[in-house]
Amino acid sequence: MRIIVHHATCQGHARCWAQAPDIFKLDDEGYILPGDINVAEGDELLASRGAQACPERALEIDRTAAALESVFIQSRV
Amino acid sequence: MASNPVPDHVPPEMVRDFSLFTSAGMLPTPNGDPHAAVACVHAGPPIFYSPYNTRNGRGTWVITRTRDQRRVLQDAETFSSHRSIFASVLGENWPMIPLELDPPAHGIFRSLLNPLFSPKRVMVLEPVVRERAIALIDRIAASGTSCDVMKDFAFPFTVNIFLGFLGLSDDRLDIFVGWANDLLHGDDVKRPAAARMIVAFIDELAAMRRKEPVADFMTFVVQAEVEGRPLTDEEVRGTGVLLFVAGLDTVAAAIGFDLAYLARNPKDQDLLRSEPDRIGLAAEELLRAYPTVQMIRVATKNIDFEGAPIRKGDYVSCATMIANRDPAEFKCPNTIDLAREDNRHAAFGYGPHRCLGSHLARREIVIGLEEWLARIPGFRIKEGTAPITYGGHVFGIENLILDWS
Repeated sequence: MRIIVHHATCQGHARCWAQAPDIFKLDDEGYILPGDINVAEGDELLASRGAQACPERALEIDRTAAALESVFIQSRV
Repeated sequence: MASNPVPDHVPPEMVRDFSLFTSAGMLPTPNGDPHAAVACVHAGPPIFYSPYNTRNGRGTWVITRTRDQRRVLQDAETFSSHRSIFASVLGENWPMIPLELDPPAHGIFRSLLNPLFSPKRVMVLEPVVRERAIALIDRIAASGTSCDVMKDFAFPFTVNIFLGFLGLSDDRLDIFVGWANDLLHGDDVKRPAAARMIVAFIDELAAMRRKEPVADFMTFVVQAEVEGRPLTDEEVRGTGVLLFVAGLDTVAAAIGFDLAYLARNPKDQDLLRSEPDRIGLAAEELLRAYPTVQMIRVATKNIDFEGAPIRKGDYVSCATMIANRDPAEFKCPNTIDLAREDNRHAAFGYGPHRCLGSHLARREIVIGLEEWLARIPGFRIKEGTAPITYGGHVFGIENLILDWS
């Protein structure tokens, strides 16, 4: 699973971080770091909860095969 | 109070007799529930025109659906925040910063101030906040089995933290609460008088910190630079005044509404007391059910919005208390479910102006509830008393006499 981060939409509510601080990393201002997030297999539930917590809808859950593959490739590197 | 004439471009069928200032339950009401009172708008259209929906009697469009409020508040280009609410009380025109700035200036000041209020920064402040809550509640518990939560806990607690930000001691706490009260709820004489006192106080504090810097908020502001230059006097003032206005009333009101709810719902009270791990989630639900602020934007151009002909200069109201009771967004919105999940409520607003103090406010509320429930046994509204609630620009609760004898 991959989380697509719409960085410009983030307004620093930090609700994702409140759910899963190890998955959703914030900058010094408290806004999410740019770049999509590849989620490790065991973290999927927590990551989806974090993504769903976003009041701005800045986090999109990508469950397509390509997303799964990218996680797989990453885990092999 | 007379309402302004409805502008010609507003179709008469879109006008509704509703206002956060004058509708039933909005004026000070014993045992009132202004949040439930406004929820009735969801029986009507998603957007309508309210002929009297600001303190000075101007009409606004009222956006009721959460989804539409998100759209308005995320689009700062179409819906401007520049209103000079505070300055206009003095017949002046300068913005509270960053609240009344639009992008791109807004972003510059937000970036400057964000680190001071970030989630990580708030974690550092937590021990001081908790210590203050414990000291106040211990004193209340030692002195009897009843108190006025607003006067004895909610205000001293939140104002103390605000004063800590400003590097000031507690000795002028009552004066500040008085100013805030006059500013938010006073008449046409008291409001400008309070505004003048606040401006003079902020100007004086800034001058003091320029001369002798200490480790506090105003020192940071007078030493800060934006775009390679120090802040102007007006910018320092606009920033200081916002901290004053935003920090004084809202969190205290939230704590008041929350404890009033728990006083009336002993089962929920017992549950949170015996399982304090639930307080974090419960506080989110209470923020959803009892938010305090109405955001107003000014249209910068003509736009047809969900069937409404919004014209340049029109006011557009996004009331958090209305969004948070939207049945399209929240299942059974008028039921308070302290275990509610997926609670993306609007209490701190949406878009670039998301409440700068939201992380601190959340911690203050959670810590306040945790320490109150840990130290005060089963409490209820004291017999023969009635909390007085009110609507308006900032919803609130005047008194809350609890009894645990």
